[in-house]
Amino acid sequence: MNTLRHLARYALAAAAIGAPLAWALPAHAANGPVYQTSRHNAGTPNSDVVTKKNGQITSYGDSAITYNVPSPALAALGQALYLQNCASCHGTEANGVPAAGTTGAFPNLVGLGPATIDFWIESGRMPAADPRAVQAPRRLPRLTHDQALAIAAWINSLSPSYPAIPTVNVKSANVAQGAALFALNCAACHTIEGDGDALARSTFAPSLRNIPATQVAEAIRTGPGNMPRFTGNLSDYQVADIVKYVTTEIQHPRNPGGLGLGGLGPVAEGFVALLVGVAVLALVGFWVGERQ
Amino acid sequence: MSDTITKRQRQRAGGRYGAVGRALGELDDRLGVARGGRTFLDKIFPDHWSFMLGEIALYSFVILLATGVFLSLYYVPSSTIVTYHGSYLPLDGMPMTQAYQSSVNLSFAVRAGLLMRQMHHWAADIFIGSMVVHMARVFFTGAFRKPRELNWTIGVTLLTLAIVNGFLGYSLPDDLVSGTGIRIAYSIILSVPLVGTYLAFWVFGGNYPGTVILQRFFILHVLVVPGIMLALVTFHLILLVRQKHTQFPGEGRTEDNVVGSPMFPVFMAKTTGFLFIVAGVTAAMGAFFQINPIWQFGPYDAARISYAVQPDWYMGFLDGALRIFPAWQFHGFGHTIPLEVTIPAVIFPGLVFGLAYAWPALERRVTGDHAMHNLLDRPSDRPKRTAAGVAVLALISMLFIASSTDVIANYFKVSLNTVLWTMRILVLISPFVAYPIAYKIAKELHETKGGGRRKVTNVVTRTESGEYVAVPAPAYVDDVREELEPTPVPVFIEETEPTGEDDASGGVRVVERD
Repeated sequence: MNTLRHLARYALAAAAIGAPLAWALPAHAANGPVYQTSRHNAGTPNSDVVTKKNGQITSYGDSAITYNVPSPALAALGQALYLQNCASCHGTEANGVPAAGTTGAFPNLVGLGPATIDFWIESGRMPAADPRAVQAPRRLPRLTHDQALAIAAWINSLSPSYPAIPTVNVKSANVAQGAALFALNCAACHTIEGDGDALARSTFAPSLRNIPATQVAEAIRTGPGNMPRFTGNLSDYQVADIVKYVTTEIQHPRNPGGLGLGGLGPVAEGFVALLVGVAVLALVGFWVGERQ
Repeated sequence: MSDTITKRQRQRAGGRYGAVGRALGELDDRLGVARGGRTFLDKIFPDHWSFMLGEIALYSFVILLATGVFLSLYYVPSSTIVTYHGSYLPLDGMPMTQAYQSSVNLSFAVRAGLLMRQMHHWAADIFIGSMVVHMARVFFTGAFRKPRELNWTIGVTLLTLAIVNGFLGYSLPDDLVSGTGIRIAYSIILSVPLVGTYLAFWVFGGNYPGTVILQRFFILHVLVVPGIMLALVTFHLILLVRQKHTQFPGEGRTEDNVVGSPMFPVFMAKTTGFLFIVAGVTAAMGAFFQINPIWQFGPYDAARISYAVQPDWYMGFLDGALRIFPAWQFHGFGHTIPLEVTIPAVIFPGLVFGLAYAWPALERRVTGDHAMHNLLDRPSDRPKRTAAGVAVLALISMLFIASSTDVIANYFKVSLNTVLWTMRILVLISPFVAYPIAYKIAKELHETKGGGRRKVTNVVTRTESGEYVAVPAPAYVDDVREELEPTPVPVFIEETEPTGEDDASGGVRVVERD
């Protein structure tokens, strides 16, 4: 027991020293690409051809995804919207420190790419219905697409960073590759049929049945919440393949065998087998037989 | 008269029962089928509806055999890796085993293949479901008592074999979900104390996954297990004819008779119709409800896993037990025993099925009742037995529900950990809650006059003088049965009484021909 307590103390101390260091890292990385948090290898593209603009990566080197930075002209509007909708938690400086709050209570938004900001607003998760919820659920978005872009533009103007907002060219993507990559990278949480499922302690992998292509790509590239961020290990071609598989086969399954039963697998099938199959046949037996 | 044979002459020459009768006569001359056939055709089946439950199982077994033969014409039990270039584009160019490729092709490229696959799968689910319901009927009415203990044992064996064969069949397509199931099965075998490693290597021909498991599962699934099952089903039915049916107590029903419809013509018509209805329901389900869409799962690959994977419903209680059992392990004497797998997946099912096998003997010992029983109990007649059965069913049902902890948590938006602990508690307390409730209900029903029995309808009439008279009505309106004359036994199966004389000269015995 004591050993455990010691270990926990060391871990806490290490975290206390490490965390400020980690937050300080992006500051000296101004020359290279800056990504949303401090994890060193995060966002390192494995592609050889990287397009840079003003010293920052705008593309992972192919034409499958175009990353667009929202127009800086929207920043003033964005700030006004931000103050109305976001500042009560994330603070007027977008640094995660509300007026009378303590540091670290809410996420620091400075240095997150526009894709992150756009994803959280356009999926309706932000502004949060319940800021203390373990995981913000997907809702009808409260802000429009243009308003989300404006807020992303303003936050980006504080410290320009990547990834920018992706536009996926799904036409040239390969759905079979996408299926294989989906099974390898996504199915472990979102399930092979894309229905999502509960994870530990009230967290969950959301259903992918109605997610627009842009948000699928944003989620893969930025890793919202518990989701890992796929940057270095997936090229833009591969992300586009996954996006195509999700927006076609996952969202519009062909179900040649009849009713899809919600994609819930043997749970739903068992209910149908017992409550439709066995029950109907037992009723037929009841009808055929004597009831005294 | 000319040589022309008239129709009437031909009929007369055919005998009293026509061409069929003559053909049967020819058969009887050679094989002596008449007497056995007569016994069979005169076999009396009680009309109570609950006796049809076992027939659902019998007929879904027939459908399983028929559709299974179709599937085996196209399935390739091989782990050889091939590249798919078929009609389902999302799998195009993907490496996969030949087993998975043939299952996908069977679904998309073979005419009626998908329908047959889905019918086979639905029939398997219905087969085991109706077996469980049938078993419950037999248990709660005490039909397993002397002299039918052997048939109960056969039934429990059939249920075990059906579950095993269901799992084997589920594993054959080698898709992502069933591959995960085989992985779990391997771990369960590994967890058997002391011999687990040897056992697992013996079954899989080496380490997991190996290259032989699919062909081993295939031959077990299509030949060995169904062969044993077919023999046991036959024996089950032979015993049923030999020992005659049980029946519920009622007017004119005693321990020494059976009241019901004869096999021919009443029951034969009924049961043939029922076969077609079972086949029709299964075909309709195969046509309209998609089951196990293996093309969506993709081929199995040990590096890939899908969340929300459950086994088919009949394995649910095992999966649930595995899910909720705490992570206990035993290390010592140079061995590790993973109790978190051994207890829920090896010891627990052993206990459940052991209890099922032992129940008739246990009940005989507890009640001291060694008499022959041909009349059934109503469940309320034996509150303790009923309550015990309900308690076990409650436990199994809770474990069954526990196999979908993740789906419950996701669907009702509760924490997975909360669901897990809820299920742990529910599993532990459910039998102890179910027993007294079931016991109390059964006891009260039993002690209430006319409790648990259908109320008799009265027909109230008013006489001319204004007096009201209540007369018990027949069970069904217009259902007034007339006594039928017994069918005369046809002459061609006239019984010859054995002479009983024994010529025992020199150890040689003379047996009269029939």
